[in-house]
Amino acid sequence: MSNCPHCGAELETPLGCGACKVPLATETQCDPFSALGLPPSQAIETSELERLHLKFTRWIHPDYFAASPELRALAEKNTGTLNGALSSLGDPIKRADHLVRALKGPSNTEMKDMPQAFLMEVLEWSESLQEAHESDAGSTERQRAFELLPELEERRSEGMNAINSLLCPLPDAGAEALTSARRELNAIRYLDRALEELETLRLAEAEAR
Amino acid sequence: MGYIELNVLNNQSNLAMGIDLGTTNSLAAVWKDGRPVIVHPEGEAASVPSVIHFPGEDKAPIVGRKGRDLAAASPERTLFSIKRLMGRQAAELGSELAMIPFPVKDGEDGVLRIQVDGKSFTPQELSALILNKVHDHGCRALEEEKPDRVVITVPAYFDDAQRQATRDSARLAGLDVLRIVNEPTAACLAYGLDQNKTGNIAVFDLGGGTFDISVLSIDDGVFKVLSTAGDTHLGGDDFDRVLVNLIVEGLKGQLSEEELSDPGFLTGARLAAERCKCALSSDPEAELHMVLASRGVTFHKTITRDELDELISPLIEKTIDCCRRALSDAGLKPEEVDEVVLVGGSTRVIAVRAAAENFFKRIPHTELNPDEVVALGAAVQAHILTGGSRDMLLLDVIPLSLGLETVGGAISKLVERNSTIPCSVTEGFTTYADNQTGIDFHIVQGEREMVSDCRSLAKFQLKGIPPMPAGMARVAVRFHVDADGVLTVSAREESTGVSTLVEVEPMSGLSDEEVERMLIASIENAAEDFETRRNADLNTEIGTMLTATERSLESVRAALDKETLDDIEAAISASRAATSSESPSGLQAVRDELERATLPLAALLMNNVAKSALSGKRLDEV
Repeated sequence: MSNCPHCGAELETPLGCGACKVPLATETQCDPFSALGLPPSQAIETSELERLHLKFTRWIHPDYFAASPELRALAEKNTGTLNGALSSLGDPIKRADHLVRALKGPSNTEMKDMPQAFLMEVLEWSESLQEAHESDAGSTERQRAFELLPELEERRSEGMNAINSLLCPLPDAGAEALTSARRELNAIRYLDRALEELETLRLAEAEAR
Repeated sequence: MGYIELNVLNNQSNLAMGIDLGTTNSLAAVWKDGRPVIVHPEGEAASVPSVIHFPGEDKAPIVGRKGRDLAAASPERTLFSIKRLMGRQAAELGSELAMIPFPVKDGEDGVLRIQVDGKSFTPQELSALILNKVHDHGCRALEEEKPDRVVITVPAYFDDAQRQATRDSARLAGLDVLRIVNEPTAACLAYGLDQNKTGNIAVFDLGGGTFDISVLSIDDGVFKVLSTAGDTHLGGDDFDRVLVNLIVEGLKGQLSEEELSDPGFLTGARLAAERCKCALSSDPEAELHMVLASRGVTFHKTITRDELDELISPLIEKTIDCCRRALSDAGLKPEEVDEVVLVGGSTRVIAVRAAAENFFKRIPHTELNPDEVVALGAAVQAHILTGGSRDMLLLDVIPLSLGLETVGGAISKLVERNSTIPCSVTEGFTTYADNQTGIDFHIVQGEREMVSDCRSLAKFQLKGIPPMPAGMARVAVRFHVDADGVLTVSAREESTGVSTLVEVEPMSGLSDEEVERMLIASIENAAEDFETRRNADLNTEIGTMLTATERSLESVRAALDKETLDDIEAAISASRAATSSESPSGLQAVRDELERATLPLAALLMNNVAKSALSGKRLDEV
């Protein structure tokens, strides 16, 4: 970590100094982990990220610099980076996605193929969800769709566990584990879409009642 | 370099005004003696109705309470709810177009134009008139400082175009916008002042025309919005409409379709509905009563609170649906909400309170006046922004996700809704064809999966990518949502360093040039600016008062003691002397003095009127 150009204090984040309570200019785009003053890792509690985010925000938020256009602009930019960092790392799925990309693993557009068996399952859920959508509230089709919920939720948490163990400890750049992690991430996207549709159905059901 | 030094260097006035620019009413507040207070001239109402009346060709529009008073007589020349038009296009307005008594069309720039007496106005310009009025209303109550720096509130649900439009109207009004703040968040600031708690708060804001629900957390003085949801077309006006429909249904046999849809009739019905609704907030039953003297028709029905509750229950259920969504977005259960704050006049409706209380299982806060909470909160934020406090900090969020169109009309979300702002996100893109030198971007805002269901914000092109095989270019696109929730986009081709910065010009919105032009136009019309207009208003008022005083003075001169008589005559001659070219504040003082001096006269006259009524004489015979 470098030091503050104004007071020389050791910096916890390159975005600002905690001693002077001002934003600092950064030469390059600051990556999300260093913005939050952390080494890259999947194993971080979201609450810890939020704590650091709030701590640094108190130093550099643009609201404190309304009087100076220059400082305000810098504060706005750095707070933007800090907030962007929390929104890309705060959620474990997004954090994993960020790590896989940062370690030069496949991106979600580069790797779309999923195992045949998994796709067959997806097809089955989609069919029952589709039927449920087309059926009335309280119908057996709806009932059958809602029965999918525990299974989907369990699959999702298994996938999440798999991702966490693939990325802890952090694999080397380009490692095979990154490809596996991407596959699990893709599977979770399918699961989330199905879960979202179930939620829509649930709301429609609640409204009908 | 600390911020305290900067404040010393900064010789600007340290006061800034908070403005609640409402759909129905607007209010101003400032920070004074350690707390936020609503500011309004003594003896006048706190709020300025967000209404503009156009008296006729070559006559200046009349804004605020006077404008609203004139609406009953000539609704066809009066504009309400201008806020609903902000950042919108004609096609998006649908049934609301029927509520506007003037021709409306989209301009070539995609901004609405409302045609009045051969002139055309954008919603931004109209909103600027209201902002000017409410700012002036507030300034008249302030002795020394007249702050031009303001914090303006908008519904949390306002999208990028609507926020831009709000910012533009403030510029047109000659005001310096320190910040656009979400209304419910402002409300929370107003309530958070005296409490240093840690916990979650739900702000339930049901105004005249909009509903917002925000879930926030408070932690050691930092307010953070966890989620917001709402409905831009749900409010107390809809409750009124339910009652208006009762009147319309009830009079169907007696009036023609045409008469029933006449704006004058509908305004009368709306006022009757509003009266009935307000009465039901304190009484178990109230009269829904309307007389149409011109047609000799009367509508009368007793409405019980239960009946009203049943009529509006589908509307209330909608608010609770939004609450559910906001809580689920915040990852909270109703019982995890520690405080519930009610904002907006429509939360006085008992069924609304009960529904909120029942859903959150908590007795909501109602200590502050629900009509004033938002403006008070805006004043708190203004105080923070002028360097007054580092103890409190408001972290606001973006209400709708921002994304880019990808192949096949799908959306790749870059900034998710409820992300804390300001927020920057950088995303990588590449070319899909060999030697492709440009990439088109289409930015949309909304939650749906497909572009066609979202609001289109802007299209732009990144040019000058060096020819290379497909997929080799690395284009980094940086989305920056600023603290007002307004977006800028920049893009950079990283393999060569070609960089373009693109200001997002909304497809429906005013360009900077247009704002400049309107600004110049309004400066040219400075002869009609509010000082002059106020002078004219005051002169007229003083003139009317003088005539009335002199006429009545003669008839009761004998009944007044000498001291009072001298007092009145001194005030009369001061008023005569002043009416030429006094400053507005001088004129105001003269007017107030005349009013004070003639109070005994007025009391005497009232007394005589009462006596004459008793003795069966006509007033002019007294």
